[in-house]
Amino acid sequence: MTAVTTRASLRRGQAQGTAAAQGPSPSPGTGRPRKPLGILRKAIWVLITLIVLAAFWSVDISWDALATFPQKLVHYLGLMFLPPAWAKFPDALGATMLSVAMAWFGTVLGIVISFPLSLLAARGLMPAVVRWPLRGVFAILRAVPEVVIAVLMLSVTGLTAFTGALAIALGSIGTLGKWGYESFESVDRGAIEAATAAGASKVQIMRWGVWPNAKPDVLAFWLYRFEISVRASAILGLIGAGGIGKMLIDNIQFRVWDVVGMLMIVVVVVTMLIDQISGTVRARIITGRWELPVVSALRRRSARRARALASPTVREDEGSLR
Amino acid sequence: MTDAAVLADRSARPTKPKTGWRTLGIVLVLAAITVWAAIAIGVDFGALVRNAQNASNTLIQLVQPDYSFFPQTLPALMQTVQMAVIGTAVSIVIALPVSFWASRATNPNSVFLGIVRLIMNVVRSVPDLLYASLFVTVVGTGALSGVMALVLFNLGIMVKLISEALDGLDRGGQEAALAAGATWTKANRAAMLPEVAPSYISQAIYVLELNIRASTVIGLVGAGGLGMLIDKVRTFYQYHYLSMIILEILVLVVLLELLSSYARKRLAR
Repeated sequence: MTAVTTRASLRRGQAQGTAAAQGPSPSPGTGRPRKPLGILRKAIWVLITLIVLAAFWSVDISWDALATFPQKLVHYLGLMFLPPAWAKFPDALGATMLSVAMAWFGTVLGIVISFPLSLLAARGLMPAVVRWPLRGVFAILRAVPEVVIAVLMLSVTGLTAFTGALAIALGSIGTLGKWGYESFESVDRGAIEAATAAGASKVQIMRWGVWPNAKPDVLAFWLYRFEISVRASAILGLIGAGGIGKMLIDNIQFRVWDVVGMLMIVVVVVTMLIDQISGTVRARIITGRWELPVVSALRRRSARRARALASPTVREDEGSLR
Repeated sequence: MTDAAVLADRSARPTKPKTGWRTLGIVLVLAAITVWAAIAIGVDFGALVRNAQNASNTLIQLVQPDYSFFPQTLPALMQTVQMAVIGTAVSIVIALPVSFWASRATNPNSVFLGIVRLIMNVVRSVPDLLYASLFVTVVGTGALSGVMALVLFNLGIMVKLISEALDGLDRGGQEAALAAGATWTKANRAAMLPEVAPSYISQAIYVLELNIRASTVIGLVGAGGLGMLIDKVRTFYQYHYLSMIILEILVLVVLLELLSSYARKRLAR
């Protein structure tokens, strides 16, 4: 079984035309189907190669700047991290809190606005006249980068953290709205049918047939969107909306490299930390139990060891058991 | 009330777990965080009302894009597309070996694996605009720093997605190759690479789509493309020019999205 699927997928890979294994050419009589010619496929590959080559040829870049780049990189990395300016760490922490606050408030505002809209955009509650314009709005908001939204809002509220939060809110309405109506529409039809059969109104169907089913997904999306917003808030700071990004761009412009190095460490650590926490909570929402990153791995390992001690033969098919 | 309770008791229905207090607690904590955030960023919805005049002027200019500005945007538009294409091409070439190093299924050396994964996690958590502003100061303004920022930004995403795809693959072919005496490199090349190829191509298209978005904004810090133009017109508050640029970005992004979803659907078959 395994061998068959593998060979099938091998052949599929070969047909994709990407550096696949150069197997022996199929000899007649083995029962293997002939490889398709795929002129169209080859044409597409030629076209892609041409586009890439054209881009390299025509772009206005002096590539010789690359020659000195490694030296420069080492030089600047040395300036940044040998050693980073930890004296400014308290300031950085304050700026980080501002960025996180911006991301949080923006996401909450986005959720509050997008949730009812995504309900309206889902099939089953409203006629198509309402649904499609809403979906169009979501699509446009998704296509415009948050940074551009922020640039637009500058004239209205000035360059503050509040502007950043509003930009994040507007940006998240697009994604959250889309994810919302998609998860409302992908729920199991059974509960909806049952509610309909019991005489529920459209609103009641949404409340008792759709929402309980879609809830875990929707909550997880909200958290995931918060992760994206944290990154976005750092970026918005870079164009001046306050927080860690503002501190970074100021120090980059004045070439205070040791502070830049410290700030980069803070950005990386905070982003990874928030991703990790949010990921853990999301897994809890979806699966219903806590999977702590280190603790669970250790627990699993000790359980495996205990099992191996109890009966050494089990170890062989442990993989298939789980 | 009691009747209902008795009824519920008599039926074979399991009792509902009591989560009311916990839900209330969670909601309260979340609300407290929201209030703290609102205070920290100085929420001021009044400002929106006060500046309504400004906002309506901006909006009026925004809904009237100046189409005569289009020829002037063409070089920047071209540069955006060029940066996206070059960035994608370079990063998918680098990402291929790195993702094989970053997957447990294809890298038997757990120390090396851990180091590669750690580096990629760090690379991934730096935002694209930050890479761009760093490279602009190191190598100067222009498309080169943009391309380099895109490459690093892509590398993080590509390596994560492809190494996860590798983790989920059927390892029968690889096992067979190893048993037949192949080295890990040979086994991965012969058995794992063809299997991962479809998702590799599909991720490459996805990354191109991301790049078009990213390359429109990294110019804001001086890394070339439409973003530089945005920066220029925004300092002069020329919103009818700005809306023309946004319109171009919209068309570009939507076109790429359509192309990418079509191509990926074809690949999935």
